[in-house]
Amino acid sequence: MSATTMSIARHPKARKRSVADESKRPWTFWVLAALFAAYVLALYGPMLCIYVLSFQDVRGGLVFPMKGLSTHWFVDLFTQVRTGDVKGGFDRSITLAVIVTVLTVVGSFLAGLAFRNRFKGDGIVFYVMIGSLVAPGLVLGIGIGLLFQYFGLPASWYTSALGAHLSWTLPFGVLVMFAVMSRFDRAWEEAGRDLGATSWQIIRMVVIPILLPGIVAVALFGFTLSYDEFSRTLQTSGPLNTLPLEIWSMTLNVTSPSLYALGTVTTLASFLIIGVCLGAIAILQKRRARSLSSH
Amino acid sequence: MSATAHASLPGAASQKKGLVSWLYVSPLVAVLIPFFVVPIVVVVIASFLEHDGFGGMIPHFTLANYAGVFTAGLTLKLYLSTIKFAILTWAFTLLIGFWIAYFLVFHVRNQLLAIGLFLVCTVPFWTSNIIRMISWIPLLGKNGLVNAGLISSGVIDQPLEFLLFSDFAVVVAYTHQLTIFMIVPIFNAMARIDKRTIEAARDAGASRFEIMRHIVVPLSRNGIALGSIFVLSIVMGDFFVVKVMSGGGSASVVSALFEDIAVLQYPPAAAAAVILLLVVVIMIALILRTVDVRKEITR
Amino acid sequence: MKIESGDIELAGLYKHFGETAAVDGVNLKIPDGAYCCFLGPSGCGKTTILRMIAGHEDPTGGEILIGGHDVVGLPPVERRTAMMFQSYALFPHLSVRDNVAFPLRVRGLSKADRYKSADAMLEKVRLTELANRLPGQLSGGQQQRVALARAAITEPKVLLLDEPLSALDEQLRIQMRTELRRMQRELGITFVHVTHTQLEAIALADIVVVMEKGKIKQAGPAREVYAEPKDRYVAEFLGGQNVLSGKVESVNGASLVVSAPDSAAIVVPLKGRNAVHGGERVELAVRRDDIHLRRPGQQNLEPGWNSISARIRAIEYQGAFVKVMLDALGEAEFVAYVPEREFFVDTFAVGDVVIAAWRAERSLLLS
Repeated sequence: MSATTMSIARHPKARKRSVADESKRPWTFWVLAALFAAYVLALYGPMLCIYVLSFQDVRGGLVFPMKGLSTHWFVDLFTQVRTGDVKGGFDRSITLAVIVTVLTVVGSFLAGLAFRNRFKGDGIVFYVMIGSLVAPGLVLGIGIGLLFQYFGLPASWYTSALGAHLSWTLPFGVLVMFAVMSRFDRAWEEAGRDLGATSWQIIRMVVIPILLPGIVAVALFGFTLSYDEFSRTLQTSGPLNTLPLEIWSMTLNVTSPSLYALGTVTTLASFLIIGVCLGAIAILQKRRARSLSSH
Repeated sequence: MSATAHASLPGAASQKKGLVSWLYVSPLVAVLIPFFVVPIVVVVIASFLEHDGFGGMIPHFTLANYAGVFTAGLTLKLYLSTIKFAILTWAFTLLIGFWIAYFLVFHVRNQLLAIGLFLVCTVPFWTSNIIRMISWIPLLGKNGLVNAGLISSGVIDQPLEFLLFSDFAVVVAYTHQLTIFMIVPIFNAMARIDKRTIEAARDAGASRFEIMRHIVVPLSRNGIALGSIFVLSIVMGDFFVVKVMSGGGSASVVSALFEDIAVLQYPPAAAAAVILLLVVVIMIALILRTVDVRKEITR
Repeated sequence: MKIESGDIELAGLYKHFGETAAVDGVNLKIPDGAYCCFLGPSGCGKTTILRMIAGHEDPTGGEILIGGHDVVGLPPVERRTAMMFQSYALFPHLSVRDNVAFPLRVRGLSKADRYKSADAMLEKVRLTELANRLPGQLSGGQQQRVALARAAITEPKVLLLDEPLSALDEQLRIQMRTELRRMQRELGITFVHVTHTQLEAIALADIVVVMEKGKIKQAGPAREVYAEPKDRYVAEFLGGQNVLSGKVESVNGASLVVSAPDSAAIVVPLKGRNAVHGGERVELAVRRDDIHLRRPGQQNLEPGWNSISARIRAIEYQGAFVKVMLDALGEAEFVAYVPEREFFVDTFAVGDVVIAAWRAERSLLLS
């Protein structure tokens, strides 16, 4: 947090301006700046604590002070039986999240296109979607579980849990898509049509490239919502657990810094994935910019 | 070609357009029907069935499950407790979320910096909620940092017990997790307010309080409503935070429901679920009456 | 079917949006290679007509012929039309060159071929040095030239322009006006231009089409529409005219006498119209620059002049002339444009009573 305030203060432009306008900054600015700082501190502080505490040695406990420095609890995490199948849960969660992300991006992009026009029954679809978004996850999970039971289908993370995740990530993605598409000028499409492009060419060469940042946002949402989904998965995942379910069972019967080590590992993993995605996009953008200027 | 021949064209064209729209929306519908509509119907049906107490359901109509829910003294207590958490969390997330969004939109003058700070708020969203919740243990625990700090500074001599595994901890954890759901839509709504309207109001002699009351709050209303929908529906549907953070001291509607499921009492759980669903739908419908969410988002 | 020429014919064209008729029975012929301006207030249906010609909107009824072929139902690309959108609709993610080359890209031309054509077109609109920029980095005038180049690269027979100058500031607008006319001559194709600014229309167009509520009020060469408006609406919309109304007192041969309040009888030439009877109410127009102002009693009017006595309500200096507003018609405007040098020979002041006079044959009977 202090890094944030420092960077504000050191930002040359910001400082110049703040000197010029110092007298114009109302007292509310300082109050709200303090609130913001406190919020960010509360947001990051606890997490930083457990990251630090996960590196204790074998004597370590759940609270400060820090006892020693080692990777003991990380080894413990992956070798101990009582911590459950963390590795398997992690693999399943990542796979599931990737599938959910792809389907969410495609589904919400298409639905976003559809909702730009009024069509018969659009209100019903919209409110069913909102319903799916606000329905308590466990209730939905029970329903899906009973449904699979009734038809004699085995529940598994890649069937029933996949559907349960989509019933939550898709409405979310469509809402984000709405916001993104409200900034899309229909004249671009008409211009494309006017200049002879087919519908598919318009989508491929005009709509998708212009909406790309929004589509990336939907993908990030889809991934994190699925990767972290708990209550909808509980009754639908079948015999094999996803990562949040593993973490959940760990919180019930593990009271060692292993828990914190798991926090550190999962956080690193999600940052790694998101970092790779954003990096890939940045490289693509740069390449595009270069190809623009090289001609 | 005659004029009448063309006259039929637009009708056909709009019909075709509607068909294309349905084609585009079909993947969404293909998920919502089997994984939302039908499961809810299944839960409603199950709530009217008898059960054998061993996980089986007997296809015989009964209202006993509902009678059970309504006559249990616990039900009211659970709802009161859940609604208490919902309202407290809603109030705190709204208060914090509104002012954070206001700060980012109206006080941070460099737009790039505002977006950067906004991203700083969203980054923790990328990590596990469960991990974020247990991360309060080293802070709020009996020997945690907060107690240690307060004791060493001489404010208290005994560690405060209510910090962790209490209703207080539940609200802290909810607020921690859900404030972002308020910040994003309110930020979005505020960012669309034309700064010139505020300057015009200032020129007209409006005080800062009046500007707040007559311009900023009404124009952020839709964002507030959208954020409230997210926060309320998540808290009403949660059982996990309550279970962990209250240390078993408090229960919520869903956590009781979960207990039923654990002992395979599906029909009573289904009846409780239907009632909860109705409560949530009514709450959301009340909010939706005040704003046209679809118009707000697509505008 | 291959469209080879850019003449346009609209026959009995209708467009209904629900209950309202946006275009209500329009008939018009635009010859190949003409510059045609649709002029009217917003909501008069001019943009809808343009969009129907372009194929972005289907008519409810009627025919649209381009080069002699009915194009209703055809996609834009088969009509040999190209549209320049009000906002220009440049693709924000593509460079200027890629924007201009876009129509060739969707037609499957190789990169080398389409860039060659695009560069040639960019040279025509003098944007060669900006070819690698993104549209967001261009000024309004430059964006418009890109839009023009992108529309022209498909070698259309008809170019459709939707309020092309409305996003520009005054100075640039006049500059781009000249540019548009130059491009039209160079390309030698039909331009159909929609605008709500009468100055723009008469400065550019071979044919001005004045519209109101989905109907054509008058269509013809710019000078005709400006100098000889058919009715009060056209006269008032194009400006430059004072419109008076009065009762016909008598009809004698080639002219009629109209009585109006606050004035001596006004003589108006009939110009071949003979369906006017005594006692009927008529409207007539007289150009503002045909009005001469005199001080009362200064000299007697020679015969063949009409006159109204009035008080000066306001005076505006306009540079080349002085705009003098009179209270002759009560609340309605009655204005004289007095040449600047003439005005300052004997300067009037607000509140002065004057005689506004004009030659009888300059009065125009409106329908």
